[in-house]
Amino acid sequence: MTLHVPLKIVVVGHGMVGSRLVDELVRRSAESFDITILGAEPYEPYNRVLLSDVVAGRTDVAAITMPEPSGEHVTTLRGVSAVSVDRRARTVTDSAGAVHGYDHLVLATGSRARVFPVPGLVDDDGEVRLPAGVHALRTLDDAREIVAASVNTPRAVVVGGGVLGVEAAYGLAGRGLQVTLVDTAPAPMARQLDSAAGSVLAAGLEASGVTLHSRTSVSEVLVAGGRAVGVRLATGGEDGEVVAARLVVLTTGTVPEAGLARDAGLSTDRGIVVGHDLASPDDPRVFAIGDCAQPPTGSRGLVAEGWDQARRLADHLSSLVAVRAEQAKRVTAPREHLRFPHEGERPSMAVRLGTLIASRAATDAGVDTRGTDVVKVKAGSLSIVAMGVSGARDREVPGQRAVTLHDAAAGRYVEAVVADGILVGATCVGDPRVAADLTAAYTRRTPVPVDPAFLLLTPVMPSAEPASSPEHMPDDTTVCRCNGVTKHDITRCWDDGARTPEDIATATRATTGCGSCREAVCGLADWLAASRADGGEAADAEPEPAGLASV
Amino acid sequence: MSRTVAEPVRTHCPYCALQCGMQLTPGPVPAPDAPAASVSAPAGREPLPVVAPRDFPTNAGGLCQKGWTSATVLGVPDRITTPLVRGADGELAAATWDEALDVITEGVRSVQAEHGPQGVAVFGGGGLTNEKAYTLGKFARTVLRTPNIDYNGRFCMSSAAAAGNRSFGADRGMPFPLTDLGGAEVVLLLGSNPAETMPPFVQHLAGAREHGGLVVLDPRRSATARLAADGQGIHLQPVPGTDMVVLLALLHVVVAEGLADRTYLAERTSGWDDVVRSVAAWWPERAETVCGVPAEELRTTARRLAAAAPSRGGRGAYVLTGRGVEQSSQGTATVTAAINLSLALGLVGREGSGYGCLTGQGNGQGGREHGQKNDQLPGYRKIDDPAAREHVAGVWGVDPAVLPGPGLPAVALLNALGTPGGPRALFVHGSNVLVSAPNADRVRERLEALDLLVVCDFVPSETARMADVVLPVTQWAEEEGTMTSLEGRVIRRRQVTTAPGEARSELWLLAELARRLGSEVSFPTDPAVVFDELARASAGGVADYSGLSHARLDAAEDAGAPGLFWPCPAPSAGEPEHPGTPRMFLDRFETPDGRARMVPVDHVGPTDDVRGDAPTYLVTGRVLQHYQSGAQTRRVPELDRIVPEPYAELHPQLGLRVGVADGARVRITSARGVVEATARWTDVVRPDTVFMPFHWSGAGSVNRITSDAVDPISSMPEFKVCAVSVSPAAHGERDVHDSQEVPA
Repeated sequence: MTLHVPLKIVVVGHGMVGSRLVDELVRRSAESFDITILGAEPYEPYNRVLLSDVVAGRTDVAAITMPEPSGEHVTTLRGVSAVSVDRRARTVTDSAGAVHGYDHLVLATGSRARVFPVPGLVDDDGEVRLPAGVHALRTLDDAREIVAASVNTPRAVVVGGGVLGVEAAYGLAGRGLQVTLVDTAPAPMARQLDSAAGSVLAAGLEASGVTLHSRTSVSEVLVAGGRAVGVRLATGGEDGEVVAARLVVLTTGTVPEAGLARDAGLSTDRGIVVGHDLASPDDPRVFAIGDCAQPPTGSRGLVAEGWDQARRLADHLSSLVAVRAEQAKRVTAPREHLRFPHEGERPSMAVRLGTLIASRAATDAGVDTRGTDVVKVKAGSLSIVAMGVSGARDREVPGQRAVTLHDAAAGRYVEAVVADGILVGATCVGDPRVAADLTAAYTRRTPVPVDPAFLLLTPVMPSAEPASSPEHMPDDTTVCRCNGVTKHDITRCWDDGARTPEDIATATRATTGCGSCREAVCGLADWLAASRADGGEAADAEPEPAGLASV
Repeated sequence: MSRTVAEPVRTHCPYCALQCGMQLTPGPVPAPDAPAASVSAPAGREPLPVVAPRDFPTNAGGLCQKGWTSATVLGVPDRITTPLVRGADGELAAATWDEALDVITEGVRSVQAEHGPQGVAVFGGGGLTNEKAYTLGKFARTVLRTPNIDYNGRFCMSSAAAAGNRSFGADRGMPFPLTDLGGAEVVLLLGSNPAETMPPFVQHLAGAREHGGLVVLDPRRSATARLAADGQGIHLQPVPGTDMVVLLALLHVVVAEGLADRTYLAERTSGWDDVVRSVAAWWPERAETVCGVPAEELRTTARRLAAAAPSRGGRGAYVLTGRGVEQSSQGTATVTAAINLSLALGLVGREGSGYGCLTGQGNGQGGREHGQKNDQLPGYRKIDDPAAREHVAGVWGVDPAVLPGPGLPAVALLNALGTPGGPRALFVHGSNVLVSAPNADRVRERLEALDLLVVCDFVPSETARMADVVLPVTQWAEEEGTMTSLEGRVIRRRQVTTAPGEARSELWLLAELARRLGSEVSFPTDPAVVFDELARASAGGVADYSGLSHARLDAAEDAGAPGLFWPCPAPSAGEPEHPGTPRMFLDRFETPDGRARMVPVDHVGPTDDVRGDAPTYLVTGRVLQHYQSGAQTRRVPELDRIVPEPYAELHPQLGLRVGVADGARVRITSARGVVEATARWTDVVRPDTVFMPFHWSGAGSVNRITSDAVDPISSMPEFKVCAVSVSPAAHGERDVHDSQEVPA
């Protein structure tokens, strides 16, 4: 039942963020929207983040297909791209010539791989033209081609040492290829890691079989018969070292796809300029989310950011529907669809959206996107995570306190940055447990320990080693948990005449629950038999009642 | 009723769903060297029976301390031995049955006259025998004619039940005998701590531990998690409230690495493709950022589990859920994620593998099958199914049209008490809601707002002390009946001794109330006869008991085959007796098309999540020595001595940060209230989490601050996670409510 005409939404881009937005809208109120999605790729939406796992052979391609929003109010056009936007007429024209009207336009066009125009990668006109054997890693087709190529060649070069480059290099090395990673920075992942962390990572990559050329760029891709046969490194001038390889993977960054917006007269910079509300400053009916967008907080190209934007935009578009519904309601009879939070149930959609609208003013100024900037590298046993304040910093920020653990020999580096009692950034290489704990503390803003240095290690309490012999076991140690029987109880029943484990069981019920303590009770019986025969240990002092201390 | 021959009687422990086999020898206490039940009965009462364990499949001769000392509860000094009625002076005073039942009859009539039949509500319990649970549901529907009956099983079983019904078309906690676990290579325990809650169960994990295959998911390094140490398994320690993310990631790895049982999925399930897509967004590295379990641990676990699956040549794997993952506002979805994982690996409906949930209360299984649930009729039938109504009405001899429809589920029911349009009178049977319900301070307010509160119990529980009328009832060794264990095995509870004073069975008092309220419906009081009626009412339902009787169960036990598994339908003429169904789903699921339904689910997170002014998670659970609200176990000195008071487990880092030393009093505050307890420093909890057991009333009664947000499908409350702040308690000051009022 709707009181109004559905809001017409055109979404350009059917990637992880565009499809997520539609999913979020449909979950909130499917009948409130009339959604058209234009997707340039011929595929169902897939998880682009996992393409490096496809390259590494760690995931089946079938596992990366994302849910495709559907329903009578959703029209999905695959293999169709948007060609132009007429903002005055509020229409989008697609590559098949169809024209789609909208109330709101959402650009989720993503980004494309950046390719440096070195010889071998550009044709005579200076246009980028990748020869056979050279691939960016941006689309499912790219990943499939890289996988196919990796089967037939023993060597690969990965150009670009960012997150994707590290994942691709590690993955191809895992397939048994000799991999060379070429990176202009002093150490890999320079955007996220400082030099100490980067050197630990570099050592880890080398140990995984990746040959690293840092502070190096590729001056030329060598091509023979239309196919790549190697790259020439820029070190040593024109006669730079040549690395032979018939597979070259370009991971030198991305460029937001902002052309459609630019052509439509919308402000663009590196990406499509949007405000905190994700709307273009030039047209409140046009939004941009994901890699193509450039919000005031900047963009790191992480999917968590894009998904967070999708969620926020879905909230906003739903609130517009709610406002229209409220307006419509005023001119019709009052209806029973306001359910306030009560009895632990969820409040009704109208109430939730109303609350949202009411709170919008407060959040508009500075949208909180923290927790969406955790960079977790997918490189198996190489555990690398960076979040918030991390990497090389030019200056100290007042109020921030950084503590560091640098353990190069063990391949470990941990930095935690604390301000106002919470974790505002962290870097962790080589310690997955600590990395997971830091991430939980960072995303949830749980207060940090009194001494932030505690964050650098897995927290454990000093505890007594398990007693090596019954003799050294404290008297109040619980031997049988099921029946709360302590060592003291057992020695006492021995002194009262019990002589076998069965006697002990009868007298104390030890071993009569789950039976896990049978060995311990037998050991105690043996020890008691021996020590009492020696006239050993004197009678025990009266102990405290047993606690819950475990064996 | 009383027995004169002092021969041992085979029965079962009164506490949890494991229903350990025990033998009771009627007193007097014999050998002085036997520690068992060496507590003498109060003067003038029958001597207490002596407990000894016996060999039964679930406990294999083991008993925990609760079981060993269970006879003590029969003779507690403050046992209620007469009806009590609250007088003009506001105090409860002894009364005759006639007086008490008159007060109730008058009260019920007056509420009904003013507020209609739905003005009277009933709250049952998962500890009642099948016969009592069945009679209570029948009493509510035919005598009170109220839709408002629900029970405390809503707090423990409802999410697993909802998920099981949705995916398999039936909910039997373990659709296989417990002993099957012994042969498995991997047992995945999700939010369950049997080493503490049902210790003899641990014996069945020995096989998995030998294979290094005990996998425990728990935000705490619980006693059970510690069983996985030293190469005996894996402990995954997620952030509270994120269990579902772990499960989604495990399934992601199963899909990504091609570990699913494709043949099984094609032949026995529907919905796989949508489920595959639904986990595409939960690759391990992303899951790690939400659940705090390292990505490689998730991968290792998924591979370990898959390697044990029959399709990959393994020796079998079981996935078991407990309250830790179920008592959540996304509990049904979390159990569904566990079921999806089990189905993807082809575990369910195969001998030697499977999915199950570990039922908690003694008759938590049977209690949810025979009509105590707000939307159910006996035999696990739906109350809004016309055919079910007609069948059951036929057995009860009433017009189907008079049967009410579905009523309010537990939390909504409790919250509605005494509110405009809500119930004004409440019967409570076998439940201590003042301690066991979430947001308990609100429950107290609601109970205070009632016109009439009737509590049937055998000890003056916190809830009983608030009642207008308290009716003394029989317990455990004082009655005959049946229970249905966590395996779905119907077993006999047998009488050994007589109840003290005026205590009577609920079967009798409900029949008597029915008569006084003018009902013409027949209410038998002999448990064997009630069972036969229950069996007829269940005929044709999912939980079909129609081929069972007390006599058949007795004969089977004499023949060395204790208990029979439902469904066990009555045979058609000329057919042999149905042998019962130890293993369900071997050929088909109970869904219309016989396939298990896979349902995509996604993670939402806790309703009451951490935030600036409540930056720490609170999780709750049990200790070995106490049972549920502690009304019974706090009265057993041997148990109370070991864990005499509530406590809170704090990581030393948390303790240092908030200034609460080990052993000091700690104050824990949620959006709903405040509790205080003694702090225990331990690293079994995460630094972002505090743990409290829930067995006490008073200042340390943790359910005063737990969340009563509920699962949208099962209406199960989110006991297991909420946000709190932790601070030192004001020095030397104790809350006025901090009196346990339990006799020494």
